[in-house]
Amino acid sequence: MIQITNLEKFYRTEEVQTIALNKLSFEVKKGEFVAIMGPSGCGKSTLLNILGLLDDPDGGSFKFNGEEVAGYNERKRSELRKHNVGFVFQSFNLIDELTVFENVELPLIYTGVKPAERVKRVEEVLEKMQIMHRRNHFPQQLSGGQQQRVAVARAVVNNPKLILADEPTGNLDSTNGNEVMDLLIDLNEAGTTIIMVTHSEHDAKYSHRIIRMLDGQKVTENILI
Amino acid sequence: MIRNYFKIAWRNLMKHKVFSMINIIGLTIGLSASFVIGLMIYYDATFDNFHKDSDRIYRVVTDFKSPEGLFHNSGITLALEDAIAEDSNFKTVSSFYIERPSKVENKAKDLEFKWPDFVIFTNQNYFNLFDYKFLAGNNQNILTNPNEVILTDKRAADYFPKMSPSEIIGKTLVYNDSLQVTVTGIVENFKDRTDFIFQEFISQPTLLQTRLKDNFIEKNWSNTNSNSQLFVKVNKSSNLPAIQARLDGLAKEHRDEESIKYGDEQIFTLQPLSDIHFNEDYGIYDWSKGQASLSLLWNLALVALFLLLLGCINFINLNTAQASQRAKEIGIRKTLGSSRKQLIGQFMGETFLLVLISAILSLILSKWLINLFSDFVPEGLSIELLNTPLIIIGIIILLLVVTFLSGFYPALILSKFNTVSVLKNHLASGEKKLKLRKFLTVFQFTIAQIFIIATLLVGKQINYLLNKDMGFKTDAIVSVYSPRAEGEISKKELYVQKLKAIPEIKEISIGGQAPASFSTHSSGMTYNNGEKEINAELQFIFGDKNYLKLFELELLAGRGHRNDTIKELVINETCRKFLGFKSPDEAIGKIIMIDDENIPIVGVMSDFNQRSLRSDIKPMALRGDWHRPDWSQFQAVHMAFQNESSENLKATLSKIEDTYKSVYSETDDYRAEFLDENIQRFYNRERKVSKLLNWATGLSILISCLGLLGLVIYTTNRRVKEIGVRKVLGASLLQINTMLCKEFLILVLIAFIIASPIAWFGINNWLQDFTYKTNISFWVFLLSGCAMLFFALLVISIKTLQAANANPVDSLRSE
Repeated sequence: MIQITNLEKFYRTEEVQTIALNKLSFEVKKGEFVAIMGPSGCGKSTLLNILGLLDDPDGGSFKFNGEEVAGYNERKRSELRKHNVGFVFQSFNLIDELTVFENVELPLIYTGVKPAERVKRVEEVLEKMQIMHRRNHFPQQLSGGQQQRVAVARAVVNNPKLILADEPTGNLDSTNGNEVMDLLIDLNEAGTTIIMVTHSEHDAKYSHRIIRMLDGQKVTENILI
Repeated sequence: MIRNYFKIAWRNLMKHKVFSMINIIGLTIGLSASFVIGLMIYYDATFDNFHKDSDRIYRVVTDFKSPEGLFHNSGITLALEDAIAEDSNFKTVSSFYIERPSKVENKAKDLEFKWPDFVIFTNQNYFNLFDYKFLAGNNQNILTNPNEVILTDKRAADYFPKMSPSEIIGKTLVYNDSLQVTVTGIVENFKDRTDFIFQEFISQPTLLQTRLKDNFIEKNWSNTNSNSQLFVKVNKSSNLPAIQARLDGLAKEHRDEESIKYGDEQIFTLQPLSDIHFNEDYGIYDWSKGQASLSLLWNLALVALFLLLLGCINFINLNTAQASQRAKEIGIRKTLGSSRKQLIGQFMGETFLLVLISAILSLILSKWLINLFSDFVPEGLSIELLNTPLIIIGIIILLLVVTFLSGFYPALILSKFNTVSVLKNHLASGEKKLKLRKFLTVFQFTIAQIFIIATLLVGKQINYLLNKDMGFKTDAIVSVYSPRAEGEISKKELYVQKLKAIPEIKEISIGGQAPASFSTHSSGMTYNNGEKEINAELQFIFGDKNYLKLFELELLAGRGHRNDTIKELVINETCRKFLGFKSPDEAIGKIIMIDDENIPIVGVMSDFNQRSLRSDIKPMALRGDWHRPDWSQFQAVHMAFQNESSENLKATLSKIEDTYKSVYSETDDYRAEFLDENIQRFYNRERKVSKLLNWATGLSILISCLGLLGLVIYTTNRRVKEIGVRKVLGASLLQINTMLCKEFLILVLIAFIIASPIAWFGINNWLQDFTYKTNISFWVFLLSGCAMLFFALLVISIKTLQAANANPVDSLRSE
């Protein structure tokens, strides 16, 4: 599903150039659950942004479903992203001014789903995430675990082929963290490909494969199952 | 999706209440001003546009060009109508003559009406030109015979109460005791806005039975009367320059010898129907309504535009300043697939919602504003005019334009955020945006500053005008006017005799208007000094022997006239100099010719201002009542009081009125005017300007300061940590406050530097209308600069002091 070869990304300030990704190559197959680990600043989040089509690489190749997307402009990336990728962030990134229902509904609005269909799909996913009773609450009225469940609901409501999770349990206690990981496992078992960036060895063990990074490069790769 | 946008817009509005309030107040003020001024423009611009082919209807007017300048007259010589009646360029040529009879009677009902207004003598063509609806009577072959009249339904209801229009046909009215006419038609008063307010249309042949008979038989080319009006409707194919050439040819052809000798020229011009309502040179028919002024409307529109711009600027400044607070939402929306276009749409929607709320508030406010600004608002204008389709479309367009002006730039900025940076919380500081905000703030304060300087200087000029010595006594003088129909001097003299018994009155004089008034009388004069002939226009004031003394006009040489009717003149200094006399004494005994009569100069008086201080002093003379007993120029009895305290004034005035009633027992139109009040009326226009400026200044300061407050709140909140650190390191309250205020006060200072020359230029231009003007003093600029700084400092300090006073532990902990 994802194939990156010699991927490069640099950050430049006026005086210094920092290499965030240094000729990184790996592949993720459809239905896989891959964890990416490494110390702060090793390039994990940069990689995730590129895989999520939020950012473009400075060099190398990035194939998504066999299609070279490295040179795509913002409009094309956005089009591909909204139909194929769901995001789960460490800090949940819910819109404070929208209710639970409205937050989850948002990706469906952008993909042009009709209102009646939207209600049906949002309610289904909220039921599945066991957060239906909070549908009219605003994010600030929810606990961290509940907020992350809403974020997961929002990530999957469009039935994306790929979910990118950036330290999804980073802001949660262990109970809530485990619940979120269980949700991700369920999704993966239902066929969704998941790439997760994490610092937690515990969470990484839920994955099929762990890629460890340092200074923008892959250092090891452990296959767990 | 749109519902979603509005939902989030509403929630954002409620979340940032202070900023929303600032935005709404600013936009509401601008929109309210725009609505009211827009209504005024629409109201005035749609006068008489309902007549068929109104764009082809013109009034023919006369301009007089002479060495003394250009003079305008809305009338024409009666001879012109005959000369162009058969011209193929004109579809219709219609004339009418305005006359105010002293009374009209319905003898059958024993009803009498004094001084009916808006009576014209006209013919069928008038009704071909203007579309009146006939309620009774035929609309063809009308007003062809003498002694016929058509009435409007309103006037008919006065003269023939409780009768239907058809019952009135054939009934008789008697004008001025002798002119008997039969009603042949009743027309409906125009329902739309019109300057054609005539109520009675008497057939033109009837004129031959009036005192105007000779004029109508002679039709002299050199005799122009503003009561004699001529209208034409040009053919579709007519060529206007060709018509003008024909009119010029006629004027040239009929120029008399005297005009050629003195360099006088008359020019006939076509005045479009749509121009009549606005053009003060020629005037309208109902003077009491006051003429619409294009320049006033332009100035008002400019004020509305500035206020609206200030509101838009607040919006732009506050929204770009707050952009970082919306960054997370934008990042998430972009991540979830929102395009930039969709984001721009969302933010424009939010702006539109805010503009809509402001518009609703403005509509409510407009009703109140129309009352508040009744000085500017035309009499018939009401808020119901908002229901007009054109106005509704205008408002919608205005709201869209305001939405675009306010919302587009912030929408562009907000939608441009880089998703990755936003989600990482790495936002660029936006140096460019900061510069734009500073520029817009400077722009706002420049406008406010210009308004402050203009207000102070206009106020200073008005004060100067009201307090400048006009050259004669102006206070504690009251003038009582005799009844309009009263031509006899004997009753006035009787009145004066009786007034002499009132001890509070110091001086009494019978005469025309006071030395300074709105009306002028003048004649051409000729003086031959032995070498050459000097010609000029000489203005007159009329008064008895006491006139000079009462108004404390100084006699520089000679004496006043010996009695009321003797033909002698007391000229002013300007006239003396104009005629070339080296000293006042030299003028005494010299003869000048007025209307072919030799009149001796018996005295020279000091100069004084005959009109407002806008105009300079013209050659003038005081004269008696020469045309008695045919008619009298002495319409008023002037009185000066013993002392100027107002304690007994009320009692004295009521004695004066009682005495009047004892002399003129048959009339009830008592009219007394204070001279100083009349002089104040000279400056009504300036006072209107001043009132407008006061409001514009207040509102622009309010909007600008609110905008500044918003920016200060935002900036201070961002610098909470810095303030905490500085306090921990030992900064004092004053030091912190100075640091926070400095950057804003610099902007206000820059605005002052930009505004001063602009304001100076504008006011200097405005003052050119006045012959007598106040100095544009340096202290006015200094004062206005200080006032603006004071307001700004006050507003800034509300927030900065609060921030500087906060406990640094709290701010550092929260960081």
